[in-house]
Amino acid sequence: MSFTQQKVDKEIEEALVKDFQAGNLDAYDKIVELYQKRIYALSFNLMRNQMDAQDVAQEVLLTLFKKIHTFQGKSAFSSWVYRITLNSSYMKLRSKKKEPKISIDELLPSFNSTGFQQEKIQDWSENTESLLFTNETREIINKAVGLLPEKEKVVFLLRDVEGLSTEKVSEVLDLTIPAVKSRLHRARLFLRKKLSGYFEEYNSQKGET
Amino acid sequence: MICCKECIDLLYDYIEGLLDQETSKSLEEHFEECPPCIAFLNTYKSTTTLCRDTLNQIEIPDEVRHTLQSFLKENKDQQEKK
Ligand SMILES: [Zn+2]
Repeated sequence: MSFTQQKVDKEIEEALVKDFQAGNLDAYDKIVELYQKRIYALSFNLMRNQMDAQDVAQEVLLTLFKKIHTFQGKSAFSSWVYRITLNSSYMKLRSKKKEPKISIDELLPSFNSTGFQQEKIQDWSENTESLLFTNETREIINKAVGLLPEKEKVVFLLRDVEGLSTEKVSEVLDLTIPAVKSRLHRARLFLRKKLSGYFEEYNSQKGET
Repeated sequence: MICCKECIDLLYDYIEGLLDQETSKSLEEHFEECPPCIAFLNTYKSTTTLCRDTLNQIEIPDEVRHTLQSFLKENKDQQEKK
């Protein structure tokens, strides 16, 4: 999306929010149209469950409706919507599981005492094209993302999947920029490790036959 | 030459284009001579693309869309009655 397009979208959005705050219900419908997919996708990717994501989407849309007068425009409207979506998703998730912590060392290659790599690393990146849209790959990826600890997962979803800027993610999550970066890096390392296991096996099977 | 460990530590900033020219250059020199680090770089980048493309395929299922629609309509009707 070009910069000017983004600017126009932002102005349209601000106008819609103002109209809705003034009581215009059509403006609300348009806001729903703009956001419901993003709300649903984010909560679905966090919880991996259609019913839960639907509940969250309902709750968020209702909150937007009821609480719009509390939105003061200090942060971007989208940041506000993302925050509500995350809060609502976390309420649902909280009861469900305990968090494993990831240690970064397990995600890095092994180095010798002078800091050089010791093992061969397979470069599977060139073979992913044909694998991308198979159901199996999709499942592996979904599973890998599902295994990410919550802190890393949410940064990864907002930044790499939703495409928010680092600054925006730090605003939504109330984190410092360095914290966003290090969580994102950890998330990518974690996913790389998980996907490597899968693709390396896939490639070696293919080599045998 | 910088070592692999430094190279991997700088990977994030390198991909995001946050390194100064000099550091960036020394990293690229390392890559030229180190296939394992190149493999790591490529698979790191690929991981992001693969996950993004896969997770972005999510659409609201029709039944969910319908539920949301009637939920919102109900809510609006209630509001208008008030
Ligand atoms: Zn190296």
